Amino acid sequence: MKVVLKYKRLFKKILKRIGTFLVAMFLLSVISFGLARLAPGDPLQSFYGDQLDTMTDEEKEMARERLGLGDNVVVQYVKWINNAAKGNFGISFKYKMPVTKVVNPLIGNSLLLGITAYVVIFLLATVLAVFCVLHEEHFIDRLICKIGTILYYTPGFWLGVVLVLIFSINLGLFPSSGAYDVGKANDIANRISHMILPLTVMIASHLWYYAYMIRNKLLDEVRKDYVLLAKVKGCSKREIVWKHCLRNVAPTIVSIMAISIPHVTGGTVVVESVFNYPGIGGLAVESAKYHDYNLLIVIVLITGAAVFAAGLIAQSINEEIDPRMKERSAIKW
Amino acid sequence: MVAKNYDFDERFKIVGIKEIKKEEKTRKEGIRQRLEGKPVISAIVLTFIVLACIFAPVIANHDPSEYYLDALNTPPGREYIFGTDSLGRDLFSIMFYGGRTSLMIGVLGAAIVTVIGTIYGCISGTSGDKVDSLMMRAMELCGSIPSILLILILTAIFPAKNVFSMSIIVGITSWFALARIVRSEVRQIRNSEYVLYARCVGGNFFYVMKRHLIPNFISSIMFVVVSSVGACITTESTLSFLGLGLPLDILSWGSMLSLANKALIMNTWWVIVIPGLFLVITLLCITDIGNYLRKEVNRRPSNL
Repeated sequence: MKVVLKYKRLFKKILKRIGTFLVAMFLLSVISFGLARLAPGDPLQSFYGDQLDTMTDEEKEMARERLGLGDNVVVQYVKWINNAAKGNFGISFKYKMPVTKVVNPLIGNSLLLGITAYVVIFLLATVLAVFCVLHEEHFIDRLICKIGTILYYTPGFWLGVVLVLIFSINLGLFPSSGAYDVGKANDIANRISHMILPLTVMIASHLWYYAYMIRNKLLDEVRKDYVLLAKVKGCSKREIVWKHCLRNVAPTIVSIMAISIPHVTGGTVVVESVFNYPGIGGLAVESAKYHDYNLLIVIVLITGAAVFAAGLIAQSINEEIDPRMKERSAIKW
Repeated sequence: MVAKNYDFDERFKIVGIKEIKKEEKTRKEGIRQRLEGKPVISAIVLTFIVLACIFAPVIANHDPSEYYLDALNTPPGREYIFGTDSLGRDLFSIMFYGGRTSLMIGVLGAAIVTVIGTIYGCISGTSGDKVDSLMMRAMELCGSIPSILLILILTAIFPAKNVFSMSIIVGITSWFALARIVRSEVRQIRNSEYVLYARCVGGNFFYVMKRHLIPNFISSIMFVVVSSVGACITTESTLSFLGLGLPLDILSWGSMLSLANKALIMNTWWVIVIPGLFLVITLLCITDIGNYLRKEVNRRPSNL
């Protein structure tokens, strides 16, 4: 009986999470669709380009009908979401092919860059934070704080351009753009050498923000009484911080990781377009430039889905490792 | 009993210790102590940059709208102090005109952030539980989308890019953090007697907000407001660099940097490094001042 109840509760929880996710996705799609349709600029212009001038009004009308631009916004939205449910997200105006075909080959590249950066950022941030806490108020701690702040407030795009200027143009160490050289898609070494500069920029411009948060949290933690006890017992500083404090701070780190996902994803957009890295972030900038709304909406939705899902997963993990975080304490509707 | 003309100093005179005259020193120490811990250097540097931007026409030694076609990509030298870019513009002259735009967008954007964030936070904080959590959820939703994507959609809506449209774009996508802080502060004070009294004697929402709420939380949002100036400048320059912001003929540090790709091909470092350094130095100064306004937490000594 107890087991059944437990599963029932779990089932309910999962259902609730999925419900939240769907509502969020729905709202996101309404917002992005509405904004994109509100935007001035004739989508036909971006689809046909110069050909538009030679078309007759009738032809224009037919083209509108075919691209689904004829009805009012609400009808357009309903039609669009109907098609989207079947996996048909419309045609990219710029590439003149279905949006899914444009996006699909690029998602992998973006995920590779994003996830690698994400993992490295948080590993380094934790190590750096622990190092700073062990040497609190020391010269080295202050130096790291200063350098970190400077790096964090340096705009990512500029850092990227400067790195390209130094390392690929003047020193010739790393390639300046792309994810791999032509015909070397499966060459791992080649891919890595293309990823080093973008990764450096991603890490440099995000690392300190999170390292600083974790550092502050740890600094509060080492002032607790159990630390004194551990010290009296004869544990070394390193042991106390790594084994006891870090474990207590772990839920905070996980929540920070959850809220950081939009931030890091936003970073990939800039980095991908600076380095011409073939990913969906760079594609988003391109499609905003060319008023390719169908493509832009899909990219926003994909990113949104990833971000929302990751947020919910992080929340679940947190509840698992820290019972205090259970939903009971959350604001009730 | 006390004699009237008794010399008090004499009565409390300490014998055996040499008297040290300290008056001269304390005044000097006073100024130094007063400035200790304050972002003096940042303030001075920022003042210089702002003044230079205000007096840009005085400083410029070349015509900022002129294209010196016979001096394309000239390295920094006596004639062109910061060199020229691939369009033949004198970087030194356009630098401070560009700074005007960038700083203007920063300040305007921060103003928009402050106004929207404060009003939204106050409404959310003072209304009932249901409205409040609805508003907070809506904000969380908007805040959890990478702001650059919202900005990309918004750039499509404003076809004409100028200082004002850019400020609006960067302003209305970055007020979420501020609203959250305002809301939590408002919820702490909304039940206090003076707010209740003000409501009872007929003060409307905006009166209460102006008179009671804002003075209470202004110190805790100053840090966010100041750092959002920097954030707005960064966003604007990023957008302009990506070709989604200000066009080349509206000078800003971002639009100057949008020539970076050409500069990379020509390997002209000054076109990239000099405007970028101005940008970074300004941002760091603003951040430093913002950090000073942040409420300091006093930590007791470490247990480690």
